[in-house]
Amino acid sequence: MADDGATRSWRHYAAALAAVGTVAVVGAPLLGHLDLANIAMLFPLAVLFAAVRLGRGPAVMAAFVSVVLFDVFFVPPHFTLVVSDLQYLLTFAVLLVVALITAELAAGLRRQRDMAEQREQQAQALCGMARDLSAALTVERIAAIAAHFASDAFGLRTVLYVPDDAGRLRVVRPDDSEAEPPPAATAVAERAFELGVAANEGGVVCVPLKGPVQVRGVVALVEPLGGESASGASEPLLDTISHLLAVALERLHYVTVAQHTELQIASERLRNSLLAALSHDLRTPLTAIAGLADTLALTPPPLAPAHAEFVAAIRDEALRTGALVNNLLDMARFQSGGVRLRLDWHPLEEIVGAALQARAAMLGAHQLVLDLPGDLPLVEIDGVLMERVLCNLLENAAKYTPPGSRIEVRGRVCGEALELSVCDSGPGLPDLRPEELFRKFARGRPESGEMGVGLGLAIVEAIISAHGGSVHATNRDGGGACFTIRLPLGEPPA
Amino acid sequence: MVIVEDEPRIRRFIRAALESTGCQVYEAEDCARGAIEVGSRKPDLVILDLGLPDRDGIELLRGLREWSAMPVLVLSARSDEADKVAALDAGADDYLTKPFGVAELLARVRALLRRTALARAAASPVVRFGAVEVDLAARSVRRDGEPVHLTPIEYKLLSHLVANAGRVLTHRRLLAEVWGPHHVEHTHYLRIHMASLRRKLEPSPAFPAHLLTETGVGYRLMVDNGQE
Repeated sequence: MADDGATRSWRHYAAALAAVGTVAVVGAPLLGHLDLANIAMLFPLAVLFAAVRLGRGPAVMAAFVSVVLFDVFFVPPHFTLVVSDLQYLLTFAVLLVVALITAELAAGLRRQRDMAEQREQQAQALCGMARDLSAALTVERIAAIAAHFASDAFGLRTVLYVPDDAGRLRVVRPDDSEAEPPPAATAVAERAFELGVAANEGGVVCVPLKGPVQVRGVVALVEPLGGESASGASEPLLDTISHLLAVALERLHYVTVAQHTELQIASERLRNSLLAALSHDLRTPLTAIAGLADTLALTPPPLAPAHAEFVAAIRDEALRTGALVNNLLDMARFQSGGVRLRLDWHPLEEIVGAALQARAAMLGAHQLVLDLPGDLPLVEIDGVLMERVLCNLLENAAKYTPPGSRIEVRGRVCGEALELSVCDSGPGLPDLRPEELFRKFARGRPESGEMGVGLGLAIVEAIISAHGGSVHATNRDGGGACFTIRLPLGEPPA
Repeated sequence: MVIVEDEPRIRRFIRAALESTGCQVYEAEDCARGAIEVGSRKPDLVILDLGLPDRDGIELLRGLREWSAMPVLVLSARSDEADKVAALDAGADDYLTKPFGVAELLARVRALLRRTALARAAASPVVRFGAVEVDLAARSVRRDGEPVHLTPIEYKLLSHLVANAGRVLTHRRLLAEVWGPHHVEHTHYLRIHMASLRRKLEPSPAFPAHLLTETGVGYRLMVDNGQE
């Protein structure tokens, strides 16, 4: 009820005096025509008026003034406070009590009416705010709505804080405002955000905006300069506002999430069709080159040995380029969309077998040593990608070691992990730091005549780390390189 | 033979390769023409590219499987295993990923033709691969002349592979035929039993010569080892 300014309240008292004065003036001519008791009845009218229209204070004053005026102007002897007949004291007492009770009752009614009016206004404002919030599409708009509402309902400034991607609060500036929030408010807001409870400090009230899923931000109510304290705002109303804001922010959050997902799906579809088209367009000519070269060799008359060698070389290079295209497309897929795993439980032996089968032609000249215990547990892996890993490692081993040398494939359980190593007995790895070895386009020996742009190990790394495993490269004591893969062991299904 | 492939140069060399083995070859450049050629020539084998200009090759395959069991070798420029599985489930017998060499193509063609020849000659119930001899009539398996004990599931799995020697059988299909249609998702059953079959029948189970894995797709029993 603290809404009357100093001048306004002064005017109210003056009006109350005037009302009582008017009653006195109207009553004066009636003296002699009416009983004094009846004239006394007029004064509560003035008090009632003051109580209903002007408030409790003016009404109480009017009650006392009424008694004084009645005594001075109407009770003999006139124009003194002296009372000749003591029975008038009773009249005064009754008049005063009636006037005061009237004032009290009427003021109470007025207060209730005012409160009802204020509640209605708030309800309307809340309704309007909820309606506006439901249409808001940006955080800035939400901040503007909150600011508008708070200045209407409480005469306070609001500052809206929302967390950024890193979880740190930032101020949302409404579209139509440039004002800086007070620095103290930010500290209070951070505390409210962290603890998830309202904080009230230095005239700033910060309420966390608790959405159904998580805290979506903080709203700070700040008193304008020289205004009333923000602590005056009623708690249930603050609750309602903060809830409305939280729901609006949450809705906005999910709108963003939905848009983002939709965009992601669309871009993935585009990427897949692009890669498929690229794959088709690169493989078709390579197929023709390899096939036509083979056909040349098969078509009579038979080719001279040197020519046959050329033709075989054309075919081999075309097929190798095909493998390169595979690597490039895989890397492009991993880079743009991450490694997608199709996990299933596999015996390692089967994957090793498939990789050896796929690279049989390359490994023909090498001595293979396999050491895979029959009791190795199943591992949860993407079979196709793991075969690619092994193919790349075997390919490297075959490429960088002389024909006839040994290539060893070993598997064992090592603590909580399954360890698989591919080792050769070639010249070993150059002095590269391991992380450089697995980098894209890194090659052990930059000038070597071997094909490949060094994507093989980068692909191995990408696939293994997507499985939650690790891959290490070491040189063996007796010479030769060793690549060791560690895969986490899970709980295989029955 | 009928080749359905939209790229003329690829068609050209496949034709030359097949003719060098004494086959008669007909060509088609799209699905519509392919369906007509296959229907009128009744070939021994169809080589089908999946990426055709008018329709997906898989549709042609499905239509063909409604009236014929002729072997179909699918060519694909896609590397995704899901495409291969889809083609095999639609009735293809084998697939080749581009680019491929002629030797590889001819080996696959031979394997598929041998299958039909065997079926026509009311094949003898005894099939041999490596040191292994499977007698489908007596339900017995021998390795180097010694009987090998297989569990009922292993035998069932092996007999399916033998009956479809040379073809790629998808996980789903093997699971449905050996374990029943309710187990088509349980590929690890299949892997465990394949591993124990290999241990019993292959000299080097980690580098099998006959019970081959097509990772992400299924399995194939290679009777002639494919290395001719």
